[in-house]
Amino acid sequence: MTEMTYLRAISDGLRTEMRDDERVLLMGEDIGVYGGAFKVTDGFIEEFGPGRVMDTPLAEAGIVGTAVGAAVVGLRPVCEMQFADFVACGFDQIVNVAGKMFYRQGLPVNITVRLPGGGGFSGGPFHSQNPEAWFMHAPGLKVVAPSTAEDAKGMIIASIRDPNPVIYMEHKNLYRRIKGEVPEGSYETPFTARVAREGTDLAVITYGAMVHTALDATQDLDGASIMVLDLRSLVPLDEQAILDAVRLCSKVVIVDEANQTCAAGAQVAALIAEFAFEDLDGPVVRVASPDVPIPFSPPLEAVVLPSVDRVREACRQLLEY
Amino acid sequence: MPQMGVSVAEGTVVEWRKQRGDWIEADETICEISTDKIDTEVPSPAAGRLVEILVQVGVTVEVGTTLARIATDARPGEAHDVEGARPPVAPADGTSDGARPSPGARDPAPPSPPRPAPARAPSAAPAPARRGSPARRYSPVVQRIADEHDVDLDEVEGTGREGRVRKQDVMGYVEARGGVARPAGASPTEPTLHIESPYRPGAGASLHGPYTPPEGRPLSRMRQTIGQHMKRSQETAATCTTWIEVDVSRVELARKELGITALPLIARCAIGALIEFPLLNAWLEGDNHTVHEQVNLGIAVSLGEDGLIVPVVRGAQDLSPEGLSRRIRDLARRARARQLSPDDVRGATFTLTNPGQFGSMMATPVISQPQVAILDVEAIIKRPVVVTDQFGEDAIAIRPMVILGLSWDHRALDGAVAARFLASIKKRVEGYEA
Repeated sequence: MTEMTYLRAISDGLRTEMRDDERVLLMGEDIGVYGGAFKVTDGFIEEFGPGRVMDTPLAEAGIVGTAVGAAVVGLRPVCEMQFADFVACGFDQIVNVAGKMFYRQGLPVNITVRLPGGGGFSGGPFHSQNPEAWFMHAPGLKVVAPSTAEDAKGMIIASIRDPNPVIYMEHKNLYRRIKGEVPEGSYETPFTARVAREGTDLAVITYGAMVHTALDATQDLDGASIMVLDLRSLVPLDEQAILDAVRLCSKVVIVDEANQTCAAGAQVAALIAEFAFEDLDGPVVRVASPDVPIPFSPPLEAVVLPSVDRVREACRQLLEY
Repeated sequence: MPQMGVSVAEGTVVEWRKQRGDWIEADETICEISTDKIDTEVPSPAAGRLVEILVQVGVTVEVGTTLARIATDARPGEAHDVEGARPPVAPADGTSDGARPSPGARDPAPPSPPRPAPARAPSAAPAPARRGSPARRYSPVVQRIADEHDVDLDEVEGTGREGRVRKQDVMGYVEARGGVARPAGASPTEPTLHIESPYRPGAGASLHGPYTPPEGRPLSRMRQTIGQHMKRSQETAATCTTWIEVDVSRVELARKELGITALPLIARCAIGALIEFPLLNAWLEGDNHTVHEQVNLGIAVSLGEDGLIVPVVRGAQDLSPEGLSRRIRDLARRARARQLSPDDVRGATFTLTNPGQFGSMMATPVISQPQVAILDVEAIIKRPVVVTDQFGEDAIAIRPMVILGLSWDHRALDGAVAARFLASIKKRVEGYEA
């Protein structure tokens, strides 16, 4: 076990898998000589050479399209979108080509697309989004979003090994803020939910950076026993874990950092309404960003993104219900 | 008597779920009927009060006959002639404060002990108000816990917003009441602690005296129907049975890959052979001979000791083995749940029966009229067989083998066609490619 940041844990996972499996290669903008916009791949080009750590043009469709071709002939490419927001340029290659190749032609597309997402640092509307739900809606893709350093490493390795195209959401606001003990060597974290804190009065269901917001918000809430469920994987969604949490607690707050409409939490809420109706003791409450672009202005951004205070107030209201 | 499928002419009432005087919602089950095809539930065509039952249990009537009358101008909860005939009942305890002070025979409140009210009935009776508060509403989990523990929620103090009863309130109420409020043995779900011994002194004596058989009972309706159909077939058809032995190595491999049973794969091969030999996919009614292009595959589903039923996979020629597997599983599940509609069991052009799961090796199945053939799939058993390699050398190999039995009607075809049909299935099964 070594303590490291969330960001180093992703690097460690990539490096471990590249050493173990020479089919793994990286593609992205400025990931080689510069070491990546956030330095996730710092030092990689020295160790693995420019053939496996490829600096690409500013063309996301080209990056993903090339990766799909490489995967079809047996390689395991990992694409970095410099910011998750830029993935929109590669959308067609992911949704229509990578996601449907196996269905149409029986060819597995073993690619991983890393999406540094999320706000909280005044990045504005093009550098702060959480686009995971776009991909949840498209069949043929998996979508994961780890919240801890240990899971970040285990899930990048599991994503690379998974034969499906995997969208790997990594939250920029966790990169250097979150640290944790990370096991040495190679391991896979399963695409299932994790109970971040046990509790029986109310369950907060969330993922990614909001796991930490939820933990902070419910640390000490008038002595109530509050569960925090970290989904970790959005596709596949751990439906059993969600329903188990509802059956135990009967009250649920769902937190998304993404814009509210059709966010991942909307799917969770629909699932609960359909399959756990008889276990509910209150309305399913959602906390998310309103349906607006993320503002540059720090005070405005603080109002838009779900804060510790907003989550705490939502929990308190529901507990009193 | 509703028309349950195009060919059904009459039906028998098996059970009345509602009695005279009961309130019934639209689409709630009012009674169960049995036709020559199927047993099914009859949904009520309208909401109202059941005022008259015209056809008693066990009576068979034609389609279109009125079974019962429902008063649709009645309202739930209001007094009606059956309830009115009962002696006056005291009002529910403590709920009448502030209400009219004359709890008499005309009291509109439901009598106590409580009558099971229809779950979604729009209640016209005054909602029970507690200490002058507005009508209380309860969350699903609170209602469920109250139902499970027989709790009157009016008695529970609410600590939620505006006195709302929360989950912990009703659970606390149940716990506080535990063992005190509930009289011993009141719970109907309490399991008995001891099982009575089957030993009876002197029972052996009957071995020495004359044998007294237990009392006989009339055969079930399903058994009677099966018996009539089978006997009619044996009297009608010139039934012959032909067998063929088939190596199912490739089918076994493919089915494991697909995660399904061998039956749909063998069915797929049989369907291919039926397309090649349409004479087997036919009906013979008197002199009228109908050869079908479409394969409607009947699959015999055992209902245990009750009997069997043969639901039909329509248009089976268009289905993949996985599709066949799914349809067969769905039909079998609904058959065992007694949820088949009469049209699910009609129109078969060929039948498959598969009793081999219990290990039996050969059978002479009876043709289902007016079809001309039925295929029997027996147990898959590993056997030593002689195989010939690519150089023409013979060797003994262990192979999973099955015997397919075809009963066919000599009025419609001859043994050569039956044999060629079986050989076609054998070729398809032994050369199976996914």
